[in-house]
Amino acid sequence: MRHIAIILAAFGVLAAAWWLSADSEYDWQLHPALPLPKVPDDNPMTTEKVELGRWLFYDTRLSGNETMSCASCHIQSLAFTDGRARAVGSTGEIHPRASMSLVNVAYASRLTWANPLLEHLEDQALTPLLGDNPVEMGLGGHEERFAELLHNDVKYRELTKRAFSGDSDPYSLLNGVRAISAFIRSIISYDSPYDHYLRGDVDALGKSAQRGMDLFFSERLECFHCHGGFNFTDSTTHRDARIEGVGFHNNGLYNVDGEGSYPRDNTGLFDMTGERRDMGRFKAPSLRNVALTAPYMHDGSIATLTDVIAHYERGGRIVEEGPYAGDGRLSPYKSEFVTGFELTDEERSDLIAFLQSLTDTSVTTDERFSNPFAD
Amino acid sequence: MLKTPALATLQTKFCCLRGAGIISFFDPGSHSVFERIALLIVLSMAGASCSEPMRDIEIPFQVTWGGEPMSCDDAGLALTDLRFYASNLELLTADGDVHVLQQLALIDLENGQGACQNGTTEVKQKVSGSVPVADYEGLRFTLGVPFDLNHADPLAAQPPLDDPAMHWHWRSGYKFLRAGVRSENDGFWIHVGSAGCQGTVGNITDCRFPNRVAVELDEFDVGKQSVAIDLEALFKGINLADGERSDCSSGPPEDTCIAPFRALGIDFAAGERVDAQQVFSAAP
Repeated sequence: MRHIAIILAAFGVLAAAWWLSADSEYDWQLHPALPLPKVPDDNPMTTEKVELGRWLFYDTRLSGNETMSCASCHIQSLAFTDGRARAVGSTGEIHPRASMSLVNVAYASRLTWANPLLEHLEDQALTPLLGDNPVEMGLGGHEERFAELLHNDVKYRELTKRAFSGDSDPYSLLNGVRAISAFIRSIISYDSPYDHYLRGDVDALGKSAQRGMDLFFSERLECFHCHGGFNFTDSTTHRDARIEGVGFHNNGLYNVDGEGSYPRDNTGLFDMTGERRDMGRFKAPSLRNVALTAPYMHDGSIATLTDVIAHYERGGRIVEEGPYAGDGRLSPYKSEFVTGFELTDEERSDLIAFLQSLTDTSVTTDERFSNPFAD
Repeated sequence: MLKTPALATLQTKFCCLRGAGIISFFDPGSHSVFERIALLIVLSMAGASCSEPMRDIEIPFQVTWGGEPMSCDDAGLALTDLRFYASNLELLTADGDVHVLQQLALIDLENGQGACQNGTTEVKQKVSGSVPVADYEGLRFTLGVPFDLNHADPLAAQPPLDDPAMHWHWRSGYKFLRAGVRSENDGFWIHVGSAGCQGTVGNITDCRFPNRVAVELDEFDVGKQSVAIDLEALFKGINLADGERSDCSSGPPEDTCIAPFRALGIDFAAGERVDAQQVFSAAP
């Protein structure tokens, strides 16, 4: 009898340990071919946290003037971009750069367009929330409101208590940011026609898209050097990655002084390192859902996929006039992979057909990622 | 045994070096067992002698433009922001002794009113502390946050580092100084902090441009004088009449940073201290 009690107790301890190790209980709902994303040790995934984060992501009360939420610049139907060339903050200030897609950001080794320091969403989220140069959500100076919202709103109080059950005082900016980060990590796309094709459904890609795929992965076009791997960006990592990819590239968009300079408010990696060789180097964004994320480039300065391809065909952009006039093709800092190539009209439309096959309409419609206030 | 340099020093300056003695005691490489026992005895004596008279000190700070007081409510040229971190605040005696007044303080000279609408209503115009009674004649501090504290997790930071307006989330580290002025149709602001950092947030290994400013006021009348921050001196290389609002945020491509950094004693392009700063001074 006593033995049974001990065994039962041991079983209970094990069960409790399993239940507490939240990460193992969280169901990413990943296809077996996809690796598990990296998650910071102090913010393991749980369904409760993701649920809290989903509400917060869509809540305009997180902005200084209560007009915008995270979702204002990260719209689900546009693969969590905003369709603008440059983002606009809650006070109307225009950001120098475009809103990036959040799809599969859990696999990003570095965050934002050109910041080698930013590894975790928990750190990154502070800039749009609190930053004042430019003002994005504009909660800076009112940051106590975040904790008050978690504590005073009946729904949030319950969700926060459940998501951070181990905390004596769970109602904090830090926990709010952790929940939003957990929600954003959960937004994963792996259900495009291209993915179905890889899994053996040969009819998932039309003939044109298949020819475009061959072009994309060819040494002639060199696209895959920067936009390679399962996430179509070389800045990719995951839990079992042996090498963490971190890549920043100058793709020849600007050459304003004949010496490779970029516009002052968008110098890329140079802004962080001060090394001249880093001028105009930006992260290659993931191309998943790229047909939904126009306009393109860090400053939204290319309108369509056709124009993007024309840019790479030329091996750099020529800006004819204005303050940014110059020939990016001649930049001394341009990537060795942006050398230019020639395409027939048919090849060009094949390439676009392939890029369109990276659109995953399940991630843009999945209710798990949609606005809960609209329900 | 009592002739070792560390002990000799301790005998003459019990109190102010007590901290150093304790550190020395725990440093395994620095003393023999006997020396350590002796140190322990001396340190306990030093404890008694630390009951020597102490004095509460307040160092006031004020903002000026060309020596005249400046505020957020001024007509014409007005203050828009002035907040900064001062670390290792030390008082110097005529004999060359150094006493730490405070390790780290946030000075906030804007009140959120008028042109400072993006600021805070709280102000902090003084640094206070307790030091032994002595004849002090100098004050020195670093404008900036020490490296380890500067790059620790900002969300777990303790006061005075828990002010989100002072943290530079995307650069990693704090804004050591936020200062700005504006007129009817012109303005300028500067954010000074470490740049060109390597590593990742939470694991920064080094910064190419530390941008910490040394402030040394050799003749400072403690109890009578205040520290004046003169923004005319800081912005003297900036055209505030060309109708173009501009800024410097310690980023490498910014020509607008060269002159103000020079006023702070730093060669902006090299990221090195080259001169004495000209912005902070002792004022009546």
